[in-house]
Amino acid sequence: MLVAAAAAALITFPYWSAPWASRFATTVVRDALILAIFALSLDLLVGRAGMPSLGHAAFFGAGAYAAGIASQRLATDQLPVTLGAAALVAALLALVIGVLVVRSEGIFFLMLTLALAQIVFAIAFQWTAVTGGSNGLAGIGRPMLGGLDFSAPDSIYVLVAITFVLVALAIWGLTQAPYGRALIGVRENERRMRALGYDTARLRLSAFVLAGTIAGIAGALSAYSTRFVSAQDAGLGSSVRAFVTVLVGGAGTLGGPMVGSALVSLIERIVPSLLPTELRISNAILGLVFIGFVLFARQGMVGLGRFAWLRLRRR
Amino acid sequence: MIEVRDLRRAFGGVLALDGVTLTLREGERRAVIGPNGAGKTTLINVLAGEIPSTGGAVRLGGHDITRLRSWQRARLGLARVYQRTELFSPLSSRENVALAIASRRGPYRVFGAPARSEQAEADTLLERVGLAGREGMTVHALSHGERRQLELAVALAQRPRVLLLDEPTAGMSPLETARITELVASLERSLTILIVEHDMDVVFRLADRVTVLHEGRVIADGTAEEVRGDVRVHDVYLGKAVTVA
Repeated sequence: MLVAAAAAALITFPYWSAPWASRFATTVVRDALILAIFALSLDLLVGRAGMPSLGHAAFFGAGAYAAGIASQRLATDQLPVTLGAAALVAALLALVIGVLVVRSEGIFFLMLTLALAQIVFAIAFQWTAVTGGSNGLAGIGRPMLGGLDFSAPDSIYVLVAITFVLVALAIWGLTQAPYGRALIGVRENERRMRALGYDTARLRLSAFVLAGTIAGIAGALSAYSTRFVSAQDAGLGSSVRAFVTVLVGGAGTLGGPMVGSALVSLIERIVPSLLPTELRISNAILGLVFIGFVLFARQGMVGLGRFAWLRLRRR
Repeated sequence: MIEVRDLRRAFGGVLALDGVTLTLREGERRAVIGPNGAGKTTLINVLAGEIPSTGGAVRLGGHDITRLRSWQRARLGLARVYQRTELFSPLSSRENVALAIASRRGPYRVFGAPARSEQAEADTLLERVGLAGREGMTVHALSHGERRQLELAVALAQRPRVLLLDEPTAGMSPLETARITELVASLERSLTILIVEHDMDVVFRLADRVTVLHEGRVIADGTAEEVRGDVRVHDVYLGKAVTVA
């Protein structure tokens, strides 16, 4: 009930906030939700299956480009076509990269995903004929669903918010199901999982493809929202940003990537405007916050919250 | 049920297994004993498929499994209990067992909680190994002895045809050892068991036959009584144990 109410409130945010909030607020929340979807997908790997990927932006970027290119080349704004193209291209890319990386672990997995994602970035940056190269892909149409038009800023927000709710519910369901338990098993003791009869390489690959597909959907939403795709969307900075979001929020939890994206958005979009011009260095602030969490609160904001809650109850 | 022929495993220049041959019929309970470094744990690891062999062949119920990976062997009915506890620490006892049960139906069930029947089956198994009342506790909260009991429950949850036990009583108190021993003794007679064990009381209580390994070779193989009387076994193993004691 509470969840349904919160979801409804979130989806209708632009309408009830209109009297007191600016359009800017809607934009900030929209981008935070896209980051949250992206971070939720990465957390499937980092938090659940224990696969620390530093190349997740490759799939976000692939989805963004696929949605943009599909809408331009096929001259259609129909959501099933462009979003479907985004999910499909991201899934295929994740399958190809996944086959190469899922057998490695820890730091090797991290470096391999980083290196392969950099190749994707280089392709996006250089293949000007298709991706627009360093100019990016501009003028992407806002999507339509049949006759339903999502071109107004408020309606694109609603599309993003609905997708966010659906993704969060799907991931929550997944983690309760045998599949989610199996991913935790792979994270905790892969050798034991194999002895139990689990084909862990395939299990890891399935998680990698699933996470990549969701990241691709987040990328498409980003392309619809900003009407622009840049090679940076697929770059290392974007991967690191998602990674930081997961860790700052709390890896392996449903709430973690959500509150993480709220905090990151706050630091990137709101905090700089409160600071004197020469201190508007959101990346440095984000870096400091990240270091603080890594040193003092490994479980992220969710962990801090749990700790505070336990303290309060003990009183 | 299990046929091992001329099994070899070299680590660098060291032959941990130097041509081991042994056959277990269905339902047989076989103990493998031998001094430290005899190759007992290597034998279990090679049989389970966690370490590839460098020569020889293994058959399970007529299938050649020499080239199969550990998860494929597990699917064919091979389960093992590790010498050191290998469990899923943040999960509860019930969830640990449920993971083993779920492996039989495959992991690609993405919606809905595990079936009620699987939960019930897990609880039944936990009760059977003496962990009733511990279902919701995480592995962290269990004592060493209880973790060993849980290991056994997890292995049994796979419904194996062959159970490999690597020192199931290692580090246990005499009371816990007795409990685990009786537990293993009470398992279905159709289950084939290969047990590596140091505790001779446990060996003689459980095993139909005993195989003695020394430097990667089988030096004796027979009923418990026969092995007890074998002079060479006394030399390399039982005798030493007595002297040390």
